[in-house]
Amino acid sequence: MKRSIGNLRGIAALPVLLRIVAAVLLFLLPLIVTSTYALHIMILIFISIIMGSGWNILGGYAGQYSVGHAAYFGMGAYTTLALLQYRHIAPWYGAWAGVIVAVLVGLVIGSICFRLRGPYFVLASIAVAEIVRVSALNLKDLTNGAEGILITEVPPLAIGGTVITDFTSKVPFYYAGLAIVLAIILSTRLVQHSKLGYYFQAIREDQDAAHSLGINLSLYKNVALAISAAFTSLAGSLYGVYVGFIEPGTVLALDLSVQIVMLAIIGGIGTVWGPVIGAALLVPFSEALRSNAIAQALIDSGLVGETSRVGSFLKEQLSHAHVLIYGLLLVVVILFLPDGVLGFVRKLAAKRTKGAA
Amino acid sequence: MAILEINKVSKFFGGLAANLDVSFSVDSSDILGLIGPNGAGKTTLFNCMTGYYPPSRGEVVFDGRRINGLRPDAVCRLGMARTWQKVRPLAKMSVLDNVMVGALCRTNSLARARETALEQIKVVRLDHRLGAKAGSLPIGERKKLEVARVLATRPKMLLLDEVMGGLNPAESEEIIGLILDIKKLGVTQMVIEHNMKAIMRISDRIVVLNSGEKLAEGAPEEIVADPAVVQAYLGESNA
Repeated sequence: MKRSIGNLRGIAALPVLLRIVAAVLLFLLPLIVTSTYALHIMILIFISIIMGSGWNILGGYAGQYSVGHAAYFGMGAYTTLALLQYRHIAPWYGAWAGVIVAVLVGLVIGSICFRLRGPYFVLASIAVAEIVRVSALNLKDLTNGAEGILITEVPPLAIGGTVITDFTSKVPFYYAGLAIVLAIILSTRLVQHSKLGYYFQAIREDQDAAHSLGINLSLYKNVALAISAAFTSLAGSLYGVYVGFIEPGTVLALDLSVQIVMLAIIGGIGTVWGPVIGAALLVPFSEALRSNAIAQALIDSGLVGETSRVGSFLKEQLSHAHVLIYGLLLVVVILFLPDGVLGFVRKLAAKRTKGAA
Repeated sequence: MAILEINKVSKFFGGLAANLDVSFSVDSSDILGLIGPNGAGKTTLFNCMTGYYPPSRGEVVFDGRRINGLRPDAVCRLGMARTWQKVRPLAKMSVLDNVMVGALCRTNSLARARETALEQIKVVRLDHRLGAKAGSLPIGERKKLEVARVLATRPKMLLLDEVMGGLNPAESEEIIGLILDIKKLGVTQMVIEHNMKAIMRISDRIVVLNSGEKLAEGAPEEIVADPAVVQAYLGESNA
């Protein structure tokens, strides 16, 4: 009897231990892995986790399916890069300016769009994001229009004369990304275990019921939007400084808005780890498609002959089809895994423990 | 003393008067039964009182304060809470979490909200279902959950919209017991109900609505003897 309790404790302690090991590994990774491509993928995953988790606060917890989050991503990226390029303000200050811009504009957007519910809110969020994109195209003095902003140099980060990093390698971006990822995971947990989390979920489940229980709908929806926009904006700033070039067609596009939603939906919305899993699956997958690694692997494995019709077709076309495949993946997940990958895994685990008991 | 006064409240939808110059008052700690045929405007009146519709005319005074025009959440915080004819469980949340959402109306602390919630869940006898998802409950338990959830907002007045609808006699009996328990706590109640036996038993006073207008008002025994009420319910030829 005593022993079985001890075992149970051991099992319960395991995930905590795993998490600590994972965290330590993530911190040491740039010291172990020298491949810049691996670090590049990790940074892209971090950016995706931040924007997916940011969306998750509004979409997953409060149930307001915004398909216009590229607006906040773009506002972060544009504010940070414009300040850096035209005013020589370092990005670690500019990013906060980006957060302020995104939150303020978000609250204006929210106070208009949150009057709408369900599909009407979704459409309004798309429309507003398109307005932001078209504005960025036309406000040439601020944004340089369709040409976008190319940053020529990032000032070194120094404290009291000691240079900490000059941003020539990928490592500082890796740590910046990791820090924001930890911040959003922590924030999501805090939200989940507070009055905010309960109110967000009540709004998601039934707005009229929530309203009748004393919940100020527009206040709490706007709070969710503010947290959501702040993190999405940080993701945009990180992306902008990391890639060094932004234009409305990439950082403010509807494509991006859809991608943000998919990260959360595929991973599992309304959970802390869903968007993390979504990003960890989707980023390498789309990278593999884009770099033609999947077609090459099929050919290398001998499943498809390189010179055969299928082989040459895949080699030429598969990399162009990544958006199509992304879409199919979303359909499959929505049809068969309505709670996302995380929900599916949890259900399996629950079945197993039930079977064992 | 009247805790609620409704003065000449009207609600128009286009040319249709869903409520027309309805006036009555409810005394503190009383149970007021609101009855009338389908479409008489009972639920519309609830919606006008709790901020879901602004009344087109007239005023609602609750606890000395004019409340028409306030939002539903503000009305709830002032101490008037309602349930829904068609129950609205927060489906993916547990029974405990559902009731905690109600309790959080009065506190920011999850621990205190949990305490209040557990208390109210005990009152409606749902303690054996704490962890169950609200969406998985059968209708009888959903109705009880609905009551526990509004009780957790610590209302001075409770509006119950057909809490016995769809329940079997045994379940209805439980709800009747619950309503009488709530009365003992000093909470004023206004009850919409089609179950005539039940409403006659629990009500201190009854208001009858017909086609949006107040048809009659009085003690249960006066209402059953009122020819106008009998006619409205049974039709001209039977009167």
